[in-house]
Amino acid sequence: MIATTPSDVTPVWLTKRSIKETVDAELWHGIVDKNLADWEAEWIPDLQRRLKLLNLQKVERRFWPQSRYWDWRDKLREIERRLANLSFAIVAEDMTQAMMTIDLTKRARMPGHEGQHLVYIDFLEAAPWNRNDLAEEPAKFGGCGSILINAAIQQSILEGFKGRIGLHSLPQANSFYANACEMTDLGQDATYENLRYFELDPDSARSFIEKGKGE
Amino acid sequence: MTFDISKTWCRNAGAREDGLDIGAGVIAADPMFTHEGGADESPEASRLALGRFINLMRRDQGLSIEALADKADIEIGELLSLENNAAHLPDVRTLYQLSEVFGVSQEKLMGLSGLTHANDDDDDYVEEAVRYAAKSASVEVLTEDEHEILNGLISVLSENAKHK
Amino acid sequence: MSKKTMTLNLTEAEMAVLEELCDKKDLSKTVLLRQALRLYQRVEERLEKGDKLFFEDEASKEKAEIMIL
Repeated sequence: MIATTPSDVTPVWLTKRSIKETVDAELWHGIVDKNLADWEAEWIPDLQRRLKLLNLQKVERRFWPQSRYWDWRDKLREIERRLANLSFAIVAEDMTQAMMTIDLTKRARMPGHEGQHLVYIDFLEAAPWNRNDLAEEPAKFGGCGSILINAAIQQSILEGFKGRIGLHSLPQANSFYANACEMTDLGQDATYENLRYFELDPDSARSFIEKGKGE
Repeated sequence: MTFDISKTWCRNAGAREDGLDIGAGVIAADPMFTHEGGADESPEASRLALGRFINLMRRDQGLSIEALADKADIEIGELLSLENNAAHLPDVRTLYQLSEVFGVSQEKLMGLSGLTHANDDDDDYVEEAVRYAAKSASVEVLTEDEHEILNGLISVLSENAKHK
Repeated sequence: MSKKTMTLNLTEAEMAVLEELCDKKDLSKTVLLRQALRLYQRVEERLEKGDKLFFEDEASKEKAEIMIL
């Protein structure tokens, strides 16, 4: 049974691109039924609409954005009772804007940190209307990725893993992790769809969550 | 246990993240996406022509990269890459915006970029565009010759251009 | 999330191992034991499904089963 309320809620703020202002939002500790309902009722139809547009514009199939086939409900059912996994969602204007699941049992690969515990981000996805790589208007809300990375880092600190995190990036997101998050690029992983694997060491993690904190 | 994430931090992070896409992990592997991007498989020459066209148009309108990015409501980084990096694959939206600002065919810009395959019937425009672009070399103020070349490119890429 | 407290009785040998591992991994005792619990649950989950747990020799690629139901 998927839960109906998250175990905790952290207030956060997203940037609404159209008005260039920040709006109130919430970081839910735990993906619950409402988030999955939003995914089914809003994310999927909107994604299909945008894919149709790409198709109409004759954009080649291989350039279509990845993560079209993610099934969040399946994933949540799988990790529901597992201590090894946690999930998060960002909600704004009563709609789920992004989701993430993490694994607490993986180890670091970065030279100097091999074998150390870290928070591994299994999956991270923004709602279709918050993406830049799909057809039509620019992203609606910005900041979801950073907030989720921040959450993963703080969870890592809570767990005693000193802020270490790791993830396999989707190709269109390589720039975000490399530049905005300043993660270390450990190269393409042949054992995982050739996706690029990134990690953040304790010092860089600390500086990411401190950066621009209280100016 | 809630986290400590301030409004200021969110605002700064939002600005840093502007224009970037996020996403990690694969639940269902799509066998077609087993390599990164697709930049290496598209013709470099036509992309160079695209970059040259944008560069010439921008300078002809007396705009800096920043100004054009602002006018077209696209990312500065994206524009820089488009003009200078033949391996860069632009966003569909970026090309749409530029086609509007420059008054040329979005479909043809997409064909040049390699995002779509130009139709067999009218892919002459790709060849012609490449030929025109090859004639222009410097990055200074447009010379008279460059003006002529630019006019040639514009006529080839405009919506109503007839093909030989 | 609310936490529950538990007292744990360990032998000297067990405590020694716990402390050694904590030192090695630079983790507190609580963190290490929580990790152990997570791994235990994951292993049980797979074993119940009928999967087997192996260690693989990196060099020879030989597999050795480490847990039999």
